[in-house]
Amino acid sequence: MAVATATDSSSPMQTLADFGKSKSLRTLLRVLILCFIAGAAVSSRLFSVIRFESIIHEFDPWFNFRATKYLIANGFYDFWDWFDDRTWHPLGRVTGGTLYPGLMVTSETFASCWPPAFSGLTAFAAYLLTNEMTTNTSAGLLAAAFMGITPGYISRSVAGSYDNEAIAIFLLVFTFYLWIRALKLGSVLWGALCALFYGYMVASWGGYAFITCLVPLHAFVLICMGRYSTRLYVSYTTWYALGTLASMQIPFVGFLPVRTSEHMPALGIFGFLQLVAFIYYIRSSLSGAQFKAFLFVGLGAVFGLALLALVAMTSAGYIAPWSGRFYSLWDTGYAKIHIPIIASVSEHQPTAWPAFFFDLNLLIWLFPAGVYLCFQDLKDEHVFVVVYALFGSYFAGVMVRLMLTLTPIVCVAAAMAASQLLSTFLSVKSPVAKDPEQEDATDVSSKKIKQNAGSLRSTNSPYVGVYSFMSKGLVSGIMTIYLLLFVLHCTWVTSNAYSSPSVVLASRMPDGSQHIIDDYREAYQWLRQNTKEDAKIMSWWDYGYQIGGMADRPTLVDNNTWNNTHIATVGKAMSSSEEVSYPIMRQHEVDYVLVVFGGLLGYSGDDINKFLWMVRIAEGIWPDEVSERKFFTPRGEYRVDGEATETMKNSLMYKMSYYNYHTLFPPGQAQDRVRGVRLPDTGPVLNTLDEAFTSENWIIRIYKVKDLDNVGRDHAAAASFDRGHKKKKAIKKRGPRTLRVD
Amino acid sequence: MRWLSLFMSLALPFGTLAAKKPASPADTFNDFHTKALAATPVKLADSSYKKLTASPRDYSVAILLTAMDARFGCQLCREFQPEWELLSKSWLRGDKKAESRTIFGVLDFADGRDTFISVFEPPNCTCPGVLPPTIGPHAVPGVEGPVRLDFTNGPLSAEQVQAWIARHLPGRPHPAVKRPVNYVAWAVGVVSTLGIAGALAKAGPYILPIVQNRNAWAAISLIGILMFTSGHMFNQIRKVPYVAGDGHGGISYFSSGFQNQLGMETQIIAFIYGLLSFSAIALIMKVPRVADAKKQQVWVLLWSAILFLLYSFLLSIFRIKNGGYPFSLPPFM
Repeated sequence: MAVATATDSSSPMQTLADFGKSKSLRTLLRVLILCFIAGAAVSSRLFSVIRFESIIHEFDPWFNFRATKYLIANGFYDFWDWFDDRTWHPLGRVTGGTLYPGLMVTSETFASCWPPAFSGLTAFAAYLLTNEMTTNTSAGLLAAAFMGITPGYISRSVAGSYDNEAIAIFLLVFTFYLWIRALKLGSVLWGALCALFYGYMVASWGGYAFITCLVPLHAFVLICMGRYSTRLYVSYTTWYALGTLASMQIPFVGFLPVRTSEHMPALGIFGFLQLVAFIYYIRSSLSGAQFKAFLFVGLGAVFGLALLALVAMTSAGYIAPWSGRFYSLWDTGYAKIHIPIIASVSEHQPTAWPAFFFDLNLLIWLFPAGVYLCFQDLKDEHVFVVVYALFGSYFAGVMVRLMLTLTPIVCVAAAMAASQLLSTFLSVKSPVAKDPEQEDATDVSSKKIKQNAGSLRSTNSPYVGVYSFMSKGLVSGIMTIYLLLFVLHCTWVTSNAYSSPSVVLASRMPDGSQHIIDDYREAYQWLRQNTKEDAKIMSWWDYGYQIGGMADRPTLVDNNTWNNTHIATVGKAMSSSEEVSYPIMRQHEVDYVLVVFGGLLGYSGDDINKFLWMVRIAEGIWPDEVSERKFFTPRGEYRVDGEATETMKNSLMYKMSYYNYHTLFPPGQAQDRVRGVRLPDTGPVLNTLDEAFTSENWIIRIYKVKDLDNVGRDHAAAASFDRGHKKKKAIKKRGPRTLRVD
Repeated sequence: MRWLSLFMSLALPFGTLAAKKPASPADTFNDFHTKALAATPVKLADSSYKKLTASPRDYSVAILLTAMDARFGCQLCREFQPEWELLSKSWLRGDKKAESRTIFGVLDFADGRDTFISVFEPPNCTCPGVLPPTIGPHAVPGVEGPVRLDFTNGPLSAEQVQAWIARHLPGRPHPAVKRPVNYVAWAVGVVSTLGIAGALAKAGPYILPIVQNRNAWAAISLIGILMFTSGHMFNQIRKVPYVAGDGHGGISYFSSGFQNQLGMETQIIAFIYGLLSFSAIALIMKVPRVADAKKQQVWVLLWSAILFLLYSFLLSIFRIKNGGYPFSLPPFM
């Protein structure tokens, strides 16, 4: 290359650069930086602990916490057989068979503060993975820094969110690192390590299917590119055999890896790889173009036949088709029609673009640049980045929750682009301008390179370098501003959006001071102190884990949504009139009903806003008794005010939410601040329930289910008799008085 | 069942003679069943609808109200009509002995204007309905008009309507919907697969360089990533409008909510992301390969300007979406 460098050893910049070249010093610096990144990652996740206090604050985590307590108290083997009779009353739940135990085993004792600790490890794993992709070690450090503070990952690992995802992302990144390592070296040891961490991942999070599909896909793409190698064979077969065995040890998974469609790609590629290996072996011992062609046709035929057999076995019922949650990723309209329980979860909604930008900020556009850089060398590991990037962004677009699986590759690719950009423009060396003759020479050589197929067009001409200090200063200045802005953005997002726990709500007073709304804990405390220990609480499933964990009372349904019919039963009870609901509640021995109502405070995540999902889920099971259409006015509006439909006004949920609510306001001014409507003057009448408790800001309302009437009347008659009774009493009082006067 | 109908046909003439009515329910059923065997669903008009649904009847009627005429512009009617025909045909085929005693009919608005207005409220409804029998073992007392199935979310498939009808006619056979094998589609599929395979084999030497071209794959991957990260799947799933009015007669390209977006909006965002990525790629890969110092300076200035302006613009768009977002860069403050 015709690049001359301006070496001037006396310049202070050069001295600094030389100083940094000492190998041991570099290592020390790298370790220090990684420690700082880990520290930043951990501390940025402690906002919620500092602002509120050390409590667990999401919905799912409460169950994990309870499970961990059981595990500590009774040991591991009892844990597998734990039958939890305090949830899903009256069914109970075989807990060992329906959860991923990795989290509980990991954490044992420390609950609310350890997800942040794992984020440090995730940053380290991202460093390792990036170092496999590029020779530029600063890229790894940048990736670690991105991974440590990016909001896309912080959302699930802030202190207090005691959830599977926090640990799962570390395992995901580390498993991918081990896979790349195994593939590069073709080593059984690394493959076995990869399988080990894969097994751990299976034990931790349902999202393991992402690995189960991505690794075979990577292998398949490599084979299609004609990159089959013994390294690929050794690493894949080791991973698949050991990893599948490891995953089958988890009771919840069991024999799924050989029976369900989402595990079939891994099995199929395993078989396909054996064939390919066999053919390569034959080819190496024999020769002849026709023989080769024949073999390739045979290979295609076998692959097609295997696919046909898979389809046949699926339709014959030997292999379960794609499980609903997974299938809805491909056929995006499927979930809405067939499984409202999945479509109802806010995390399963598709992602709008602001969410991407909110979670990833500038990484979102550095990410494609990094992927493009991978096409420069396009070694096996770069193919992995490309495949992961494409599928990760598709899945993240379909489901908000899967933003989490996209984040690692975004950090890796963006770090590659950013570090490449910085090292190009921060290099002290500048090329010297050449004379025209030399330029002609380079033109010729560049034309030669152009003919070289299989390379990127942008790398056709030879690398020269950046000439002027102005260019260097400009670009590195812009990048510095952007990176600083990224840090500010992450801090802002973390402290504002992801650190407010959903159990404790924070609001601002007019004078700017913070006001803490603690209705949830107030209500759970009330339940704990004022109800019998086996009092059954009926609520929508979102609050099941919290009631189990914080109030320690049995629930009908909870966040583990394994039984759709049972949830639909609760939905039916909530969306029907009292005459229908009361027998349902009696049958399920419900003592208390809990609803969340945000109308007073303007808290939009309340049950009236979730109500249509309850109706839909109930309608899925009892289409003749519950109809979504009847909750909409003839003009197709969902209303809660005086214009609401009769079905809406008579539903148990509506009555419980608005019972006595109008008494808070002067006549004619009752207002729902979430829906922004004025309510009628007369509130709903409840006959079968008694108001037991309403929290300070009316967010939680608890009702006691009345016993059967002593003299066998129905509740409506008894209640109207009671109301009439008071009038009669007044008359009676007046009666004697007149007598006395006489 | 046959004994029953025999008994009915014997017994009912006396009743009808007494009431001086022209036809017995069994006769009406046989009459319409013969029509149905010729062409199902039976096309009805005002008078025949009255005759078919006259009480008493010992058979069920499944009827579709529709308005196929182009004047009414009823998209739903046209979409559902073939499903209804398929359902009635497979029902008739699966129930040759007419054990379910169900007549499938269709009443077009053009033929049955009066019925539409008198029986079906609101009259603009386009939906299937079921009339259960009023006498006999399956009689449902107290049902005057047809029980209706409203299409709230677009037309249902024949299978879904079949399940609905089956729920309303318990205790009788419910022949399943059998979709005819689409031989043409299969033939077209097989032939085109073979054709494409053959063409690929022939044109292989010419196509292979394109398939193996790294630039093409890089472009495809980047376009895919940009599409997905700018919310394309959200548009697909939620079916958002392309643009929306701003209430003053103009067009608004950006919707204001954090959870909302418009089709146009995502394309603008994808374009901005694409340009930002491309300027980063250009700065990393193209600029250091420009041999001429002056040219290189110009390129650096150009790409940096694009990078800076666009990111500032992107932040300003994001502040439309998220009102509380505090950060901005000049010039779009």
